[in-house]
Amino acid sequence: MTPLLEVKNLTRVFGGLTAVGDLTFHVDSGEIVGLIGPNGAGKTTCFNLLAGALRPTSGSVFFKGKDVTGRKSHQMCKLGLTRTFQVVQPFPDITALENVMIGAFVRHGSTGAAEAKAREVLDVVGIGHKADVLGRDLTLMELKRLEIGKGLATEPDLLLLDEVAAGLTPVEIDDILALVRRLNSEGMTFLVVEHVMKVIMNLSHRIVVLNFGSQIAEGTPAEISKNPAVLDAYLGEEEYVA
Amino acid sequence: MRRYREFLIPVVVFGLAGFLPLFLKTYYVHIGILILIWAYLATSWNILGGYAGQHSLGHGLYMGIGAYASTYLALNFGLTPWVGMFVGMAFAAAAGWFVGYATFRYGLKGAYFALVTIALAEAAVYVVSNWKAMGGAAGLEVKYLGTNPFMMQFDGKLPYFYIILVMTLLAVLTAQWLNRRRFGYRLIAVRENEEAAEAMGVNTLGTKINANVLSAVMTAAGGTFFAQYFTYVGPRVVFGEMVSVQILLFAIIGGLGTVWGPLVGAVILVPVAEIARAELGTQFQGAHLLLYGGVLVFTMLFMPKGIVGLVKSVRSRIWKTPDDSVSAPAPEGGAS
Repeated sequence: MTPLLEVKNLTRVFGGLTAVGDLTFHVDSGEIVGLIGPNGAGKTTCFNLLAGALRPTSGSVFFKGKDVTGRKSHQMCKLGLTRTFQVVQPFPDITALENVMIGAFVRHGSTGAAEAKAREVLDVVGIGHKADVLGRDLTLMELKRLEIGKGLATEPDLLLLDEVAAGLTPVEIDDILALVRRLNSEGMTFLVVEHVMKVIMNLSHRIVVLNFGSQIAEGTPAEISKNPAVLDAYLGEEEYVA
Repeated sequence: MRRYREFLIPVVVFGLAGFLPLFLKTYYVHIGILILIWAYLATSWNILGGYAGQHSLGHGLYMGIGAYASTYLALNFGLTPWVGMFVGMAFAAAAGWFVGYATFRYGLKGAYFALVTIALAEAAVYVVSNWKAMGGAAGLEVKYLGTNPFMMQFDGKLPYFYIILVMTLLAVLTAQWLNRRRFGYRLIAVRENEEAAEAMGVNTLGTKINANVLSAVMTAAGGTFFAQYFTYVGPRVVFGEMVSVQILLFAIIGGLGTVWGPLVGAVILVPVAEIARAELGTQFQGAHLLLYGGVLVFTMLFMPKGIVGLVKSVRSRIWKTPDDSVSAPAPEGGAS
């Protein structure tokens, strides 16, 4: 079976700096794959490359067996790969419902159908009662949920989550984890970038570790937490890993 | 039936407005026509500037194209402006596409986009001023034919009033239509957060170009009407910065990105400006411009969402706050 997402020798150079270098990994359908690494390891650049916000310097990306290298964000989204943002990106002047509808319009042409889909998604992410609140008036927790909802509304096969737990309390994090697990059990595939180790270790089926733009390890959470190269990269942060 | 209810209010409002001239003196019908011209143009501009958030300061370009195309074709080929209007709209579509592609393709935003549009409209002024066939700096005069509906010419004001009334109704209906359609939502998404819109499957480049084309096409039709009503087109008169700035003035003051904002802005401001011009025109030239400037500054400072935006927020405060405080906070954690 071909993997859902296959990344081959992906490289992105900014000036003299190699943000992502020769990165190769894959994500199978139905998996939750974690992408971790110390600050500046190239995680967000990797996301930008996969989601089409940046063009790779070299290397290629295959999605559903198709070469999609260099496609733009909106094209990737239509193909079924959607990303969320580390810093939440709501549309501030329209309601939560309308925020999510923008995503629903990818698969639904009519306003009625998009609205129905958006209401369903708002309920899934637990802010159904906030449907008529403007984007600017939502709390951070609600915005994080909205961010996931906006992604879900595009009905992706693969959802890239960029630090959904950042800035949340432990209880809120547990809520988000439960949500991601439930969506995964319903068949959605996830690639997750996360700083909060509790999240990544609990959630991921498999973890890819980056440092200085390259992959230094790959394996199950248990393997990763014992991997000497990973421990080395995170030196001083071991207590989070364990 | 519910689907068409959104269009009912504009139709009723404009239908009622259609009775007004029966009670008004000719001078006031003229003011009514001015109001509607600017309301029409501002509504057209609002699609790009208000909905999609791309503030073009060069819509005179499209207005000029519409005005010149129909006038030139009528003078030289006897083509009826009713058809010339559509020729002008086609040229404006091409110009709108070109301007949109040239600016948005290279990521021009905000002030940079505005500057390029000013420059292009200004360039058009000089091109037309030096274009012999277009009458050069002297412009073109629409040949007087007396009342001739086929050539969109009338001795009285009433027919003009009804033509621009219908045009403005169509523009308002277009805005109303956008309000609840995918394309309209995408325009707003582009305005609100382009990066997020792109990530959510919105082709932001295509959306902005389409908005520019639609806005340009509508503006050009206004240009044709303008030429027929004033029976004169000059480079500065239709392509110039005065036109470009006034177009957006009413939209900003009335309420950016709202269906009724541009109309409300024009209804309030045009008569005041006309009175200022009539009363002070001789001693104090440009008094109405000073007035526009003052009102614009006031709007920006105290009601950045314009008159309609202010009304909306007041209304939502009166209507929503009570039942927000009554309803208990909805349970969190519906996700798990």
